[in-house]
Amino acid sequence: MTDLETIREKLGTSEPWVESRGTHWLNPGAAGVRQVAAVMNEAHARFVTITAYQLPGAEGFRLEYHWDLEGRLLGLPFTIAGNAIDSIFDLSEAADWIEREIHEEYSLEFTGRECAPLLLRKGDESGVNLREIAAAKPAPAAQAQKEVAQ
Amino acid sequence: MSYRIPMGPYHPGLEEPYKLDMICEGETVQDAELNIGFNFRGIEHLAETRNYYQVIALMERVCGICSFIHTLTLCQAMEKLAGLEAPPRAKYIRVVMAELERLHSHVLWAGIAAKLMGFKTMFMTCFALREKVMDVLQAISGNRVNYSMNRVGGVNRDVEDPLALLPLIDELEREMTRTVIPIFTTSSTAASRCAGIGVLTPEKARSCAVVGPMARASGINQDLRRDAPYAAYEEMKFDVHVQPAGDVKARLLVRALEIMESCKILRQALTSMPPGEVSVGGDKFAFVTGTATSRVEAPRGEVMYSVSWKEGSRNPARVHVRTPTYANMPAVRWMVRGARLADTPLIQASIDPCYSCTDR
Repeated sequence: MTDLETIREKLGTSEPWVESRGTHWLNPGAAGVRQVAAVMNEAHARFVTITAYQLPGAEGFRLEYHWDLEGRLLGLPFTIAGNAIDSIFDLSEAADWIEREIHEEYSLEFTGRECAPLLLRKGDESGVNLREIAAAKPAPAAQAQKEVAQ
Repeated sequence: MSYRIPMGPYHPGLEEPYKLDMICEGETVQDAELNIGFNFRGIEHLAETRNYYQVIALMERVCGICSFIHTLTLCQAMEKLAGLEAPPRAKYIRVVMAELERLHSHVLWAGIAAKLMGFKTMFMTCFALREKVMDVLQAISGNRVNYSMNRVGGVNRDVEDPLALLPLIDELEREMTRTVIPIFTTSSTAASRCAGIGVLTPEKARSCAVVGPMARASGINQDLRRDAPYAAYEEMKFDVHVQPAGDVKARLLVRALEIMESCKILRQALTSMPPGEVSVGGDKFAFVTGTATSRVEAPRGEVMYSVSWKEGSRNPARVHVRTPTYANMPAVRWMVRGARLADTPLIQASIDPCYSCTDR
């Protein structure tokens, strides 16, 4: 059984693991996402997913990377100011589709790989921020209310 | 000379739209490319525009087979944010519904697999069995597809007489033991069509991070019901079946054995269901700011929800869903390599794909 502390030591981060609402969280500190993926491979952790959040204004994005280690869900968050982060596809092929999906939904670049389209796109445009395009339009219910009011 | 054969997005061998582009040499598949997203619905984004009641009804529609599992996973995450815990009886009811849904899914899959093998009488037998499972689901929930059973803090409906459901479980198990399992495990038709095809090695299964019966049929011993128990699974006794071969036959065997385990779990849950209320928390909920995750072992494998909320809001700030087919589907590329073209519909069906989930 791999000890969570061993993972923390390998990543060289001083902050402890914190268990919160179903996930063991670790702030990766100075460790990059590729270093985290390599350490998770050594620990035989199973890649689960990446959850992307677009931060308000121009603050960038928060990406939460999840792995499963013998039934424990691990979460390592990365905040990025721009619109690019290293790809881990070559280290974990299971990250392929979710990286491509995030690229297509948020126009986020995963450096070090080509993102073949998954078809989540606006017309022929791939890699545009679908979320921002959708946010610019009123929700169908709000639109219907507006039309009724008029 | 190599040539390209597209299978899908509309094809008699596929029940739902996706595209498998295969590069063949003669009758042998050399490589394949997968395309999804033909019916992408943007449900995650839509969830942010729905309040805490509406979002449950919305997420129930992510999948037509695992509708209960999706609301269970969502409600468990929301309960963590609301500081609630479902009462013991609700947890047992959740186990009953989840296992009935597993039976429904596995029996449905067995029917479709039989059809793809050219074994149409078996298809009819499996679908007749599936009807019996749906009858039980309807008896409990009043519905056949979207059950509306889960709510934040428990379940919406009680199982008034759990012991009355036992004869239905016995009958289902008897049919499985007498008919379905012997035919799938001993008939020459099933063996010749399933053994040694669509192999996913344990190494590749780990590398692709596949989940559920697909992982267990490639020798990976993982099951969230045992490894990270939720609802009342900690109190259930059951075995996790693992097959090392990684071929279509191994996937067939794992699911057949899991049907028997589901019957075992159902019997335990129905006979030892504790008395008491089925929900807590009333009708109005206050969620704290933060993120909660929840994972459930769906019939096809692990489902994960990550739910974020801002205090005071009626709507979630973000709902991210990772479905099992999303994890399993990319491995099809490795499973069809070297396979005969004629075997590819059965190979892709052997993962029990759900594009409704994938194109959420």
